[in-house]
Amino acid sequence: MGKRLLIMMLALIVVLAGCVKTKSDVSGEKESGETKGGGGSGKVTIELLGTSAGEEDMNIVRDQLIKNGFDVKLNIQPDYGSFKAQRDAGNYDIALSSWTTVTGNPDYAVRSLFKSDGDNSNINDSEVDGLIEKASTETPDEFKETYKQLEQRIVGVKAYIAPLYISFKAQGINNDVLNPDTVRLAKSRAIAWETIDFNDAAKRDAAALITQQAIGSLTSLDPIKGNDGSINTLNTNMYVRLVNLTDDDQVVSDGSLSYNYAIGDGNTDYYFILRDDINFAKVADGKAVDTGDRVGADDVVFSLNRAKDKDSVPDHRTYSLHESMKEVEIVTDIAELEEAKVSGGEGSVLEALGAGLESEISELVDDKTAADSSAGKYQVVKVTTKEAFPQVLNYLAHQSAGIVSKQQVESINTYDVAAFDVNKDIPYGDQRTVTEGATYDNHLYASGPYILVKKNDYQADFVKNPAYRAGSEFEPKISEVTVRFIEDADSSLSALRNGEIHLFNGVPETKYELVENDDKLVLQKNDSNAVTYLLFNGADREVAKSENLRKAVLYSINQDEFLNFYQGNKKKAYSTVSPLVDTGNELVADPAKVKEFLAEYRAE
Amino acid sequence: MEEKLKNRHALAVSREYPQANFTWIISLILSLIFLGNSFSFKTGDMNMVLFAFFIAYLTTALFQFFIAWRMKHDLLGHGEIRKGTRRLGYVQLISLATGNVFAAAFAFNIINKRKTPEYTFAVYMFLTQLFVIAISAMNIFKPYVTDTFPVAMAVLLGIALFHVAVLIIVAKSVKEVEAPRSLGVVAVIVLLTAVTGNIFALLLGWSLLLKSMSNDRSRIMKWNVMWEKITRNSMAAMGMFFIILMLTISVVSRFTFDYDLAVANDYGNILQQPSLAYPFGTDNFGRDVFSRIVFGARISLIVGFASTVIPAVIGGFLGGIAGYYSTRTDNVIMRLLDILYAIPGILLAIAIIAAFGANTMNLIIALSVGSIPTYARTMRANVLMVSNYDFVDSARALGTSDMSIIFKQVVPNSMAPMIVKSTLTIGGAVIATSSLSYLGLGVEPHIPEWGNILRVGSTYLESHSYLAVFPGLAIILLVLSFNFLGDGLRDALDPRLD
Repeated sequence: MGKRLLIMMLALIVVLAGCVKTKSDVSGEKESGETKGGGGSGKVTIELLGTSAGEEDMNIVRDQLIKNGFDVKLNIQPDYGSFKAQRDAGNYDIALSSWTTVTGNPDYAVRSLFKSDGDNSNINDSEVDGLIEKASTETPDEFKETYKQLEQRIVGVKAYIAPLYISFKAQGINNDVLNPDTVRLAKSRAIAWETIDFNDAAKRDAAALITQQAIGSLTSLDPIKGNDGSINTLNTNMYVRLVNLTDDDQVVSDGSLSYNYAIGDGNTDYYFILRDDINFAKVADGKAVDTGDRVGADDVVFSLNRAKDKDSVPDHRTYSLHESMKEVEIVTDIAELEEAKVSGGEGSVLEALGAGLESEISELVDDKTAADSSAGKYQVVKVTTKEAFPQVLNYLAHQSAGIVSKQQVESINTYDVAAFDVNKDIPYGDQRTVTEGATYDNHLYASGPYILVKKNDYQADFVKNPAYRAGSEFEPKISEVTVRFIEDADSSLSALRNGEIHLFNGVPETKYELVENDDKLVLQKNDSNAVTYLLFNGADREVAKSENLRKAVLYSINQDEFLNFYQGNKKKAYSTVSPLVDTGNELVADPAKVKEFLAEYRAE
Repeated sequence: MEEKLKNRHALAVSREYPQANFTWIISLILSLIFLGNSFSFKTGDMNMVLFAFFIAYLTTALFQFFIAWRMKHDLLGHGEIRKGTRRLGYVQLISLATGNVFAAAFAFNIINKRKTPEYTFAVYMFLTQLFVIAISAMNIFKPYVTDTFPVAMAVLLGIALFHVAVLIIVAKSVKEVEAPRSLGVVAVIVLLTAVTGNIFALLLGWSLLLKSMSNDRSRIMKWNVMWEKITRNSMAAMGMFFIILMLTISVVSRFTFDYDLAVANDYGNILQQPSLAYPFGTDNFGRDVFSRIVFGARISLIVGFASTVIPAVIGGFLGGIAGYYSTRTDNVIMRLLDILYAIPGILLAIAIIAAFGANTMNLIIALSVGSIPTYARTMRANVLMVSNYDFVDSARALGTSDMSIIFKQVVPNSMAPMIVKSTLTIGGAVIATSSLSYLGLGVEPHIPEWGNILRVGSTYLESHSYLAVFPGLAIILLVLSFNFLGDGLRDALDPRLD
């Protein structure tokens, strides 16, 4: 019996062995064709740099490059700081990078990245520079074509970057605690805290709104000295601006320092009529107090002038956003407003500024203490740009154009900018002054709805500005806001689910389902301007010299696979402009082109 | 009356009866695990495959309980297990089809009354081969298999058949202290089959050679006693079985598994539930978790072994020198090692990885450096003891050089605790490897390593728990196996327990 069983077993195995397909059966001819076609000397090794947060994207890129005949060396850094150090040292061929256009205008999406003199640029191409300048002066209808050409130059022709995808923005809200209708999710701008309310309005003063951000080391609480994830949300809520962006990136005066704004004919003059119901707040004994000092036109002029002046502070990180401004001044002559016509329309600037005001504009005053809206005494600020540049309004809505107190900043920043010593001098907004401990000496003057009281390594505590439009619908609802520093997205999600935080901005794509299936959570989704792309080394690697090699890498990228991996929760991108302007360009993976370009590269 | 007392004693000293009980209990537990997993409490659905496993294991457990009851009856009534009861073992062999290695090992054990170490080796050698074939055979459900698969499987099957033959020959002809001379040839062929990584074949071949060629009865007896002690401990034997199975699978997987399935992304098959084609499901990149775990065994074992052997050799050498020579040498070496000992091992490893980058070689070095002092201490303590023995004095009197005394007389006689310690710490090394990978400090994330696989799984714990369960189980089983084997080795090698 045993023998028969054995024979049967053997027969079965033989039959099964006949059935199975081997790897070369499956991909036989294709494979052998490839090896013949590849026929060069060895594989090209590409070093891919990224952070461990981008590990999944790196794996997809690695896989795609390997399948296209490259060898890939991964350089994974644990955090953004060490990633940046590696990138600055040039230890990469391609770096996984991302860019979010927080101002919501296409100029910002290209200026600092691709212009020869941009803060984040490693590209030196006069044709690119020309196109960026040309597009900046054009209206949306005109610049579509220019940006299309620019994209083609950057990606298709020269392959300075290889685009991967556009992300969505998603935030999870604990709807047991918060009223989800009061929580905004804007495409570009940072979240506004003042509108957020509890389900139970009685808790407004008793409980704190607890939210989260990844980075706990704050670059600077001086709005012009930082433009990154560590301070964007915080400074947005601490400093009011002349205008704001709506959730779909329209420039409006709602929730800003101005009642109205108007663009003068010729697109170089921009007028803002200021509110009189916001005072600066400061922190005393752990509480926010009204300084009695109004946020007025002199503060606006001071703030914008230092924003555009590269040398106003050491380590100025945002001047390139504001370089387009030539002059900022207070308008006191009402006749000037009467004479000025509005751009592309009927009527004077005065009419546009006066629209919907409680009392008519009867007088323009220079001194902010003399302004009184109910009596018709207003302050008006005029911004003049060097050239016609309608997108300047987007920059004025950015957190770096936040209004600071002239008097306070001047009294703190007494050091000499050229001889600034980071160990000795303490500039306005230095995070050391708000960090618990010996260096604590909170000197902040907040013009926005909230003010930072103190921070440590785990959280930052904010309280509402008592003199911020008190009694109006824009008065901050919740009196205390706590921002927890939780670096890892999965930990943040856990914190949201167990009720430790009420609001989590940045739910990972692969976890949407978890939030949606949780009864006490609501998931809000919106488009975003965040584009992830591969940046080629522009300095001293092979990829910097060889356009063919860059293109071989570019055409290895298959965006459909990214979309698959993220379960459709990403969109295709062509450049950092893609989320802002529909240019119609698309990157299509093409293994045949990869081979072609690789062969050309080898022939070089 | 006296008869009864004698029979009670027979029950108490029987080695097979506790194993019988152990087998039915563990089969019952496994069946309950299958039952628990076959029913989904969320949806109320039944998983028929798992339920079938539950039935099969329950049947095995019940039958095993019956055998155990018969054995107790036999022992109490007759003072020995009767032939009829032993024959039940043949029936229990069927449990092999369900993959119940505990019941199968017991069945092989009960069938043969005369148990030589060779018989045990042959049984486990065959079981290992069978399991390797079964695991490799899972590949036929895949869309395609690797090119060498048919040939490799044929070779494996051939070896398995040969192993069955050897098993029968060994059961029939090998005696307590001697074996027919003709078995020498068989022994050599068995030794050759050990290239698949099947260490049991190596042990069997060596043992057969020893018995068929050597006349040194005391040496053979010593060998017999040692292995009897190890294999008497069911858990140690099972641990050894699992380790060797993993080792064999790591060697054989080179020819029977396709590495691309474990590393190449397949976006069409992302996060698939376990199925025949993907026994452990697929991960977030569509990679087959089963293949990844199989290939991961290789790295875990290599790093585990290497990061145990390296400090054992270096620490053993330093400890040997320190223990043998005067206080000054001793002090210098041991105090330096104390400094190293003061740095937490895992932190040192993290620092080394952070400084020199993450790859397998650095991982081995990082894990090795930290455990040198403990090995040195163990060795030094033994050398201090052994170097006072008479045979060392006589060697010294004969004018043998110090180095020769240390490495020919002292160290070999101090090895037993080192071996035990190595086996026990190898599990720790496997965990450390996985921990570092889990923290993102081990090998590159796409490389199939158990810690890496677990890391991906941990983020899908709620929605796709199998991604974490299987690599977790693999780590647990391997570490437990090393610990059980270590315990068994200690019992067998420690003179104090004699």
